[in-house]
Amino acid sequence: MNVIEVKDVWKKYRIYHDKGSTLKEKLLFRNRNKYEERWVLKGINLNIQKGQTVGLIGENGSGKSTLLKLISRIIYPNRGEIKVRGKVSSLLELGAGFHPDMTGRENIYTNASIFGLTRKEIDNKLDDIIAFSELEDYIDNPVRIYSSGMYMRLAFSVAINVDADILLIDEILAVGDVSFQKKCFNKIKELKNRGTTIVIVSHNTGSLEKICNKIVWLNKGVIQLKGEPPKIIDNYLQYMKTKEENRIEERHKQTENKKQTEKENNSIGTSTKRWGSQEVEIYNVKMLDLNGNEKHCFSCGDRVTIQIYYKKHKDVENYVFGVGIFNHEGISCYGTNTHIDGMKINNVKHRGVVEFKIKSLLLLPGKYLLDVAVHAEDGRAYDYQRQRYEFEVVSVLKDVGICRLEHEWQIN
Amino acid sequence: MIEDIKELYQYREMLKNLVKKDLRTRYKGSVLGFLWTFVNPLLQLVVFTIVFSTVMRINIDKFYMFLFVALLPWIFFSTSVQVSAGTIIANKDLVKKIYFPKAVLPLSVVTSGLMNLLFSFVIVFIVLIISKIGITINIIYLPLVIFVEYLITLGISLLVSSLNVYFRDLEHILGVLLMGWFYFTPIIYPVEMIPKSYLKLFFLNPITPIIISFRDILYYGKAPDFVMLGLTLLIGLFTVIFGYNVFKILQKNFAEEI
Repeated sequence: MNVIEVKDVWKKYRIYHDKGSTLKEKLLFRNRNKYEERWVLKGINLNIQKGQTVGLIGENGSGKSTLLKLISRIIYPNRGEIKVRGKVSSLLELGAGFHPDMTGRENIYTNASIFGLTRKEIDNKLDDIIAFSELEDYIDNPVRIYSSGMYMRLAFSVAINVDADILLIDEILAVGDVSFQKKCFNKIKELKNRGTTIVIVSHNTGSLEKICNKIVWLNKGVIQLKGEPPKIIDNYLQYMKTKEENRIEERHKQTENKKQTEKENNSIGTSTKRWGSQEVEIYNVKMLDLNGNEKHCFSCGDRVTIQIYYKKHKDVENYVFGVGIFNHEGISCYGTNTHIDGMKINNVKHRGVVEFKIKSLLLLPGKYLLDVAVHAEDGRAYDYQRQRYEFEVVSVLKDVGICRLEHEWQIN
Repeated sequence: MIEDIKELYQYREMLKNLVKKDLRTRYKGSVLGFLWTFVNPLLQLVVFTIVFSTVMRINIDKFYMFLFVALLPWIFFSTSVQVSAGTIIANKDLVKKIYFPKAVLPLSVVTSGLMNLLFSFVIVFIVLIISKIGITINIIYLPLVIFVEYLITLGISLLVSSLNVYFRDLEHILGVLLMGWFYFTPIIYPVEMIPKSYLKLFFLNPITPIIISFRDILYYGKAPDFVMLGLTLLIGLFTVIFGYNVFKILQKNFAEEI
C-alpha cells in the first residue's frame, strides 16, 4: 500500500529582490516587487510504501528538503498532487513551540500537542519521552537553563515518540553527543522494524545505506535515479566525484592563468617560493593521470605521473631532480630525489622532461602542494620551486590520516 | 470540511495549550496576575459609573450597566479580530517549521477572547445583583447569544488572519475600521435613538442584533428576539464557512509568505 504518493509535483519559489508587503509599498514601488521564479522541483513522481525507509540524497539545492516539506504539508506544490495517508511526524525543525520559561515537562505537553496528540496520549507517553531524553533530573526546570544539547535531546525525544505512521527526518544524526546519536539511530531502526514509514534526507550516505530500503537521488529538481541503496549511492558518489574534479580543474585553470601573469612580472630569485642559480631552469610542471591528461584532481590510488620540464643554460657537474609533496598544513607527506634514490646524473640534454611515476597515489583526500627542484649533489639549488603545483585528492573511502597504507585484515 | 473539523478536533490539546498560554502569559509579571482578568472590567465599570452618574448624565436608568453589558461583547469581538489579524505572523516560527491545521491559531485567539468574556461576566452578574437590576430566567438564552457572537467573530477572524499575511496594512486599517464600527453599533446609545430611515442599515451590521440580544437578556431581563437571533445565527454560520474557505485557500502559501 502506498502511504505517500507524489504525482508529478512541481514547486517554484519566488525570490523577491526587495519585497514590499504594505499597500503603500505595493503601489508606489511596483518595481520593488520584481521577483525571480525558480523551479526547485520539476515533475517529481514517487510512491512510498508502508514500512519502507527511503533516503533522499542529492547536492545542496537539489530540492530534497523542499520535497520533505511538501510531504509534511508545511508548503504546497504549484502543480501536481501529494497524498499522504496516516499521521506524520517531522523532525525537520525540532522544538517547535518551546517556551524558555516553561519547564521541560510543560514543554513536552506543548510540543507534543503541536504534533496533534491529545492530553491522554501525551500522559501515556510522558515517561518514555523523559526516559529517552535522559533528562530526568532537569525535567521540572525551565528550559532556558538547559544546554543546547539538552534542549535538542528533549525536542528529539518528543518528536520521535509521537507514534507517527510516517516519520520525516532531515539530517537528524547531528543531534547531541555520540552516544545520543547512536541511541537515535537505534530508535529509528526500532521504529522501522515496527513498520513506521520513514523518509530521511541526509548527506551521510554511509548511515543511509545501513537503514534504507530505497534511495532516491534528486538532481536539480528531478529524480535522477531511484532504487537499491548500494547501487544508487555508488552512482551518486561517482557523480559527485566527477563533479568535484571538474570544479577543481576549473578553479586551477583560473589560478593558473593568474599565476602565469604573476610569474611574468616576477623575476626568478626574488620570490620566496623560487630560488636558485639558474644553470638549469624548470619551466613547467605537470601532473598527468593514467591517460596522460593533465589534471589537478586525483582519486586516492590513481596512477600519476609528475613531469618536470627543464632547460639547461650552462653545463654543471651533476644534476639532482627532486619532488616533495606537502599537505595543506605544510606537513611533508613525501619527498625524494634522484640522488636519494641512488641515481647519478652527470649530463642532461639542453631541454627535456623528467618523469616521476607514481604507481598508486595513496594520499588521503585533501589539498596538496608539490615542490620541484633541480640542484647539485651538494644541495646548491639551480632552480628550487616551492608550491609549484596544487592538486587535490578525493576518495570514496573514509579512512583517516595522511596516506593510505596498503593493507588487508585478517581476523582469527 | 468534515475531515478538517475532525483534524481540528484531533488538535484540541494544542488549542487548549494556546488558550491557556495566552490567558496565563497575558498578565505575566504583574502583581495581580490573573486577577486582572476581573479587575480590568471592574475598573472600567467604576469609571463609567462615575462619569455617567455625575458628569454626563443620561436619561437612561443605570446607564453604566446599560453600557457595560454591551461593551463587553464588543470588546470580545473587536480584540479578537484585531489580534487574529496578526496571529499568523506572530506564530511564524510554528507556521514555517511544522505542520498543523493553521486554523488553530485564529481559533485560539477567539477562544481565549471568549474565555475573557466569560470571566468578565462574573463581574457582570455580581453587579447586576448589587445594582438591583437582578437576573431573570432569560439568562438561559445567554449561551446561545454568546455562541452566535463566537461564530461571527471566528468567521471574520479567519478571514482577516489569512488576508493579513498577504496584505499587512490590514492590521492597521482594522484599527480605524473597528473604531467606526463601534460607533455604528448601538453600544453607547439605545437602538431607539437611531432614526427610523437608517434603522435597516444598522441591521446590516451583524453585531447589532447581538448587542441588542445581550442587552435584552442582561439589562432588560427579557428574552431576545428569536427571529432576529436565528437569522444572525445563519449569518454566523455563513461567515465561518466563508471565512474558513478563504483561509483554507490562502493558508497554502503562509510558510512562504511570512
